[in-house]
Amino acid sequence: MNRERVNAPSMFASAARIFELSLGQMLWSRRSVFLGILLGGPVLLAAIVRVVVEMYARGFRINGASVAGPAVFGLIIWLLYIRFIVPILGVFFGTSLIADEVEDKTITYLFTRPIPRSAVLLGKYLAYVVCTVLLVLPSVILVFFLIVPMGGGSIAREFPSLVTDLAMLALGLVAYGAVFALVGTRMKRPLITGLVFAFGWEPAVLLFPGYLRRLTVAYYLQALVKHEMPQDSATSVLLQLFHEVPSVATSLLGLAVIVGLSLWSAGRAVENREYVLEQ
Amino acid sequence: MPIHDQGYRRYGGWRAPRGQAWSVITRAGVRAMLAKRVFLGLLLIAWGPFLVRAIMTYAAYGAASIPQASYFRPTPETFRGLLGPDGFGGVLIFIITVYVGSGLIANDRRANALQIYLSKPLSRSEYIFGKLAILMTFLLFVTWVPAMVLLVLQIAFAGNFTFFRSNLFLFPAITTYAFIEATVLSFAMLALSSLSKSARYVAVMYAAVIFFTSAVYGVLYAVTRSSSFSWISLSNNLEQVGNIIFRMPAKYDTPWPVSLLVIAVTVAVCGLILERRVRGVEVVA
Amino acid sequence: MAPIVAADHLSKWYGQVIGLNDVSVTVPSGVTGLLGPNGAGKSTLMKLITGQLKPSKGSLSVLGEPIWRNPALYFKIGFCPEQDAFYERMTGLEWVTALVRLNGVSETEGVAMARRALETVDLVDAADKKIGAYSKGMRQRIKMAQALAHDPELLILDEPLAGMDPIARRKTIRMIKDLGRAGRSVIVSSHILHEIESMTANILLINQGRIVAEGNVHQIRDLIDEHPHTVYIRADQTRALAREFLTQDDVLSLKFEDEAVVVQTARPDAFYARLTDLAASGELGGIHEVTSPDDNLQAVFQYLVKS
Repeated sequence: MNRERVNAPSMFASAARIFELSLGQMLWSRRSVFLGILLGGPVLLAAIVRVVVEMYARGFRINGASVAGPAVFGLIIWLLYIRFIVPILGVFFGTSLIADEVEDKTITYLFTRPIPRSAVLLGKYLAYVVCTVLLVLPSVILVFFLIVPMGGGSIAREFPSLVTDLAMLALGLVAYGAVFALVGTRMKRPLITGLVFAFGWEPAVLLFPGYLRRLTVAYYLQALVKHEMPQDSATSVLLQLFHEVPSVATSLLGLAVIVGLSLWSAGRAVENREYVLEQ
Repeated sequence: MPIHDQGYRRYGGWRAPRGQAWSVITRAGVRAMLAKRVFLGLLLIAWGPFLVRAIMTYAAYGAASIPQASYFRPTPETFRGLLGPDGFGGVLIFIITVYVGSGLIANDRRANALQIYLSKPLSRSEYIFGKLAILMTFLLFVTWVPAMVLLVLQIAFAGNFTFFRSNLFLFPAITTYAFIEATVLSFAMLALSSLSKSARYVAVMYAAVIFFTSAVYGVLYAVTRSSSFSWISLSNNLEQVGNIIFRMPAKYDTPWPVSLLVIAVTVAVCGLILERRVRGVEVVA
Repeated sequence: MAPIVAADHLSKWYGQVIGLNDVSVTVPSGVTGLLGPNGAGKSTLMKLITGQLKPSKGSLSVLGEPIWRNPALYFKIGFCPEQDAFYERMTGLEWVTALVRLNGVSETEGVAMARRALETVDLVDAADKKIGAYSKGMRQRIKMAQALAHDPELLILDEPLAGMDPIARRKTIRMIKDLGRAGRSVIVSSHILHEIESMTANILLINQGRIVAEGNVHQIRDLIDEHPHTVYIRADQTRALAREFLTQDDVLSLKFEDEAVVVQTARPDAFYARLTDLAASGELGGIHEVTSPDDNLQAVFQYLVKS
């Protein structure tokens, strides 16, 4: 090989090659299979609900009042996807982008190549985004087609809202993934930090008035949800009371800033950190 | 012969009776966790709710002349609240379970240490029990122990046994519920830990089990406005059983024997998983 | 010729533990063996040379440039790490191709380079097998392949012979020597001394984070003139020989073994000269075997490490 003629791949070209390498690893790993099963949960739930409704042919009723499928779909989006699945996927994959390679001791091969270390992180992050989007979006689409027709709901009428929901969930995966990639590169116990952030800090801080809530992904993401927030608990009722909804533009900008800052900071951490592998 | 044989000689000293090897695993595990400063900090934080209650109890009896101080007096609900799995205490129980339990068997599987353990005079049950006891020790330390200490403090600050005598059920209730909670959470975590070689993966699986089942119940509750599906969530089952044990009104519509049955089935299933997974060799075919 | 690695007062510590302690050394081109017991600092030095760790103090340059945060240098460096870690689901060819493509080559060129590397390490037949199904020796060789695929100037091999069978070991040793002869520089670390000895005479001895000795193994041996040289002589008349030796003041001690006498001498050159004369004259019977257990790396190493 004539070493003089081959140029070092650019940051994005390097990231693209890492992306190719990592996507296959992520898609066919045991954890993705497990997560695929997890994402089958909402589909199974939707299927059971649909079968029960069809069998009894009375439609869905809450306190005697008939409830249309779109409302139920909105509940599922809120309670399962936004409050649980998207953050947990972000925690699970995001915190382990580099940590997995360190644990498996394969990081050496990537860090002794003529590519910036941050390209490794970026490539793996992109693979995470594609992998999770490929897992989550089909699940949502299946739930949509199962639930929405109930109680007179119209798929055609609700289809634009499905597209919005898919885009919003994809954005959520992008944002949470970036935040937890940062957590994964900077913290010693990223998983616990991530779980506390997603299921402790965010729900708590959203209840506080003032600027604190702007330090969460949920504040911007939940503003993009068109469905009505469910009132399944006292916390939800309180959230509705204090719910301050930024505009779509503000939310998109906020999420973009979060993603950009998180990835930049995570890249810097990876460039400067020494990874000492277990012997 | 005056010259003694310098070769290998069998140990002729005292040996513990068979069946106690689990305590070696437990002691080593507990010591290893206590050597971590971060974990000690976590344990300290886990005693935070107790500290708040203790100060309130002190204020209740120390400032008895102020009428409002009586609001701070402990009730059976106070002790129930200390034990989780709901509230701030529940969050800390979750974190401790993940911190201590996720690597208990997963790390041994990663290091291929199961073969080494099981090649010693140590049965699989002893190994599992030893690991279980590590997690249960810490869970009871942040649930049963603070509740008992609070009970003792209540008697000490009140200067009489009136509250204790009129709530004689409290001591067995605290003990029973704390043990049920510690047992089911420990079994669940240990079973998940035996399924993987990555402690991180185990932690997420555990979080998924806890939060996902709660989320599914949330959906069903929001849709049907009925809490009879609460048996789906492990946390809800524990809450239901806890309320019954503490003679409080049931939180959900699910009959408490159903919740107890689900807990028992969970423990049984986890036991089965452990029986299949904890082996010196992997059976391929 | 410029040194391939130059360390100047290089130290590395992990918290309270010193991995490398004030090391100043230059590694010339060619094949260099890095020797040391476990925990000596070999891996730390290797990780510093490959840019995985940052020096705590001092400086380190590889091929004339600092390596830390200098990914462009990896065009010229190939690293074969010690750990047995791979993407098990990929085939050998896929894995080596994916890694060599990170050097900026196209898919076609990457496959070609990977195949050439697999040919060098004799893994062409197993190229399309998943790495998870490889034997230990094959796994070592595929690691070598990924280090060689992009044709680097400098190869850094951390325990490359671990787990290999004797035939594969011999082949790898020959390959390393061939690489050296072809103008590549190779740094090989090991604690198996006779393997290093068979690859190169140029060694770097490390112990407890310090460089104990560097250079040609024979030169090092010559420098240790305080260390008595042991000579084993199997002969017909061992006692007569012993009586003769005892008259010479450079003989420090002797002992008898089965049909042999083992002598310790402070001046091996003079002793060997006299022994040659005795053997030639035959006046003290036949001398059948003369060997020196000291004149190998093991003895040098044990002596230096112990002191």
